[in-house]
Amino acid sequence: MHTTLAYADLPAVAPLLVRATANHVGRRPRAEAVLPTTVVRVARLRQDLGRLAAYNRVCGFGLRDAVPPTWLHVLTFPLQAALLAGPDFPFTPAGLVHTANTMTLHRPVAVGDHLDVLVRAEALRPHAKGALFDLVGEVRVGSELAWSGRSSYLARGASAPAGADAAGATGVTDDPAHPLRSEAAGEQPRTAQRWRLPADLGRQYAKVSGDVNPIHLSAATAKLFGFRRAIVHGMWTHARCLAALSGRLPETYTVDVAFTRPILLPGRVSFAAAESDAGVRFAVLGREEKPHLVGAVRR
Amino acid sequence: MPERSAVVVGGNRIPFAKAGTKYAAASSGDMLTAALDGLVARFGLAGQQVGEVAAGAVLKHTRDFNLTREAVLGSALDPHTPACDLQQACGTGLETVIYVANKIRLGQADTGIAGGVDSASDAPIVVSEGLRRALLRASRSKTLLERLKSFASLHPTDLAPVPPGVVEPRTGLSMGESQALTTAEYGLTREAADELALASHRNLARAWDAGFFDDLVTPYLGVTRDTLLRPDTSAEALAKLKPVFGGENGTMTAGNSTALTDGAAVVLLAEEEWARERHWPVLARVVDAQVAATDYVTGNEGLLIAGARAIPVLLERNGLTLADFDLVEIHEAFASTVLATLAQLEADGHGTVDRARLNVNGSSLAAGHPFAATGGRIVATLAKLLAERGPGSRGLISICAAGGQAVTAILEAV
Repeated sequence: MHTTLAYADLPAVAPLLVRATANHVGRRPRAEAVLPTTVVRVARLRQDLGRLAAYNRVCGFGLRDAVPPTWLHVLTFPLQAALLAGPDFPFTPAGLVHTANTMTLHRPVAVGDHLDVLVRAEALRPHAKGALFDLVGEVRVGSELAWSGRSSYLARGASAPAGADAAGATGVTDDPAHPLRSEAAGEQPRTAQRWRLPADLGRQYAKVSGDVNPIHLSAATAKLFGFRRAIVHGMWTHARCLAALSGRLPETYTVDVAFTRPILLPGRVSFAAAESDAGVRFAVLGREEKPHLVGAVRR
Repeated sequence: MPERSAVVVGGNRIPFAKAGTKYAAASSGDMLTAALDGLVARFGLAGQQVGEVAAGAVLKHTRDFNLTREAVLGSALDPHTPACDLQQACGTGLETVIYVANKIRLGQADTGIAGGVDSASDAPIVVSEGLRRALLRASRSKTLLERLKSFASLHPTDLAPVPPGVVEPRTGLSMGESQALTTAEYGLTREAADELALASHRNLARAWDAGFFDDLVTPYLGVTRDTLLRPDTSAEALAKLKPVFGGENGTMTAGNSTALTDGAAVVLLAEEEWARERHWPVLARVVDAQVAATDYVTGNEGLLIAGARAIPVLLERNGLTLADFDLVEIHEAFASTVLATLAQLEADGHGTVDRARLNVNGSSLAAGHPFAATGGRIVATLAKLLAERGPGSRGLISICAAGGQAVTAILEAV
């Protein structure tokens, strides 16, 4: 059984994150966390063309009728925040690390489509540095599942019950032998592009995505959380990779990424890709070719 | 209709000058008009109507939307001469030759002028994307308040001017950085690149000294020779230069890469019989042309070696091999661009190009490379060289261009 939290429109993210953080101030975490069974949803959501255009511009997508799958993730983000702000959510958002993401575009979604969007949490499992769990999102057009996504978060220092449900895990972060990370996965991605990330990129992306996490906004606010400078949103980097591959992507596909190291702003990174019959493997590389993100599109 | 053929009658360019020097005060329009007027004077075209003039520039001001027509109106040509602008990055000059030649062959024109110009000195500077959007929003606003609000989101850095883009939009890599990836991929050496650069300077200097350019170049603003040419450079001097692309151990230096250049070049084309009836020189026929593109965005191929894709198509269609060409002109964007293109052709089983036939009167490393003007320089030079060698001698041109493209063509002396 689950409870449903229904919104008429996407809620504002900032107050939710504040509430989610406040919920945990002075509260001792439970010895073993339990995820709420709440499903947060919005029905018949209209997409905002102006916001989509701004999102596409910041991420490097051209403006088409078909929206990028990462845009659909952005639409689920306020619902993720609502879930985190629930009184029964076990982790504070301040310490969460977005480690991996997988999403599938089951059918193309047009900017004019009205969307039913839902988010829930599942797959709490132990991790060497704490506990992992997934925020799962679904987007439907009418009754048809158009997009599904799974964002894996690490709650540092938290503990999950042993033998916990790991069925939904992406495996990318859990398993070093995952094809995304494996050296043996055929031809290594070749450097093809260089991206210059401006100092205000975190603020730009925050504006179009609603993700106002202070670690992305300025060096001063990022320092409060232990980062030397602001870091770019992982989902920006993810979106930018898909934008770089636009034209090579099939009509529908699954894309997996693992966020391996944060990118400090301003910054300069390179993009590498390798195509095969199975799909495209790609990576965003920093100094000494160390990966910030590794990913793959499966046809 | 009998078969028509398009021939190169002659060409004219202004000497090419290092950007920001001798031509710093001249606009693209000024230089194109100067090159055009030199051609008009050489062939007695003053007051005459030409079928069409096609030219272009890579770095272009918005006010230059009709650059070529404006140059025609500023020249001594009959103002009834129509003109259009074409743009194919560094392939612009050769693409205009193909366009005009095709019109002539199809009977849509008997004569035409093709060419290009670029000024890296007078390059357009634009406002930032943030300011541009704010200005557009303001122009759509109906009230003063709305108009003021349009500027509310501006950041101080939005007010800084933005120089023209020098990187590939899809990769964020400059030409040099892109070529450095290719250079590493093909394992090309510094020595081979410097050797090619040295040959370019020596060949161009020899051609100037021999008076080869006397009927191909008109002095402009006191400049009588290409100013980037270093007749006295040596292998030792080139070897001393520090790498500018590809990191500390890179092989690409300012000596084996083209410099930013100002200049303009035009070519006069005509239908062969039409030219003969008027006793115009008939230097070489434009036989065929091919454009190709590489898949460079995800790093599968080099940005500047599409010539290795275009040339085989051209050879196949014309039943020729590389050995059938007396002369080969491969635009020297970078020495390693030429070397990588040749290496790829060889790897694909097309054999090698005898260096004694390659860029025999120098190319862009020595002459400089005012982007859209390079095609006109090469076509006029090659046509004259082929004519000197006599009927039947064949030449091949390959010019790489931004966007992973290359424009290639075959000329044959008649």
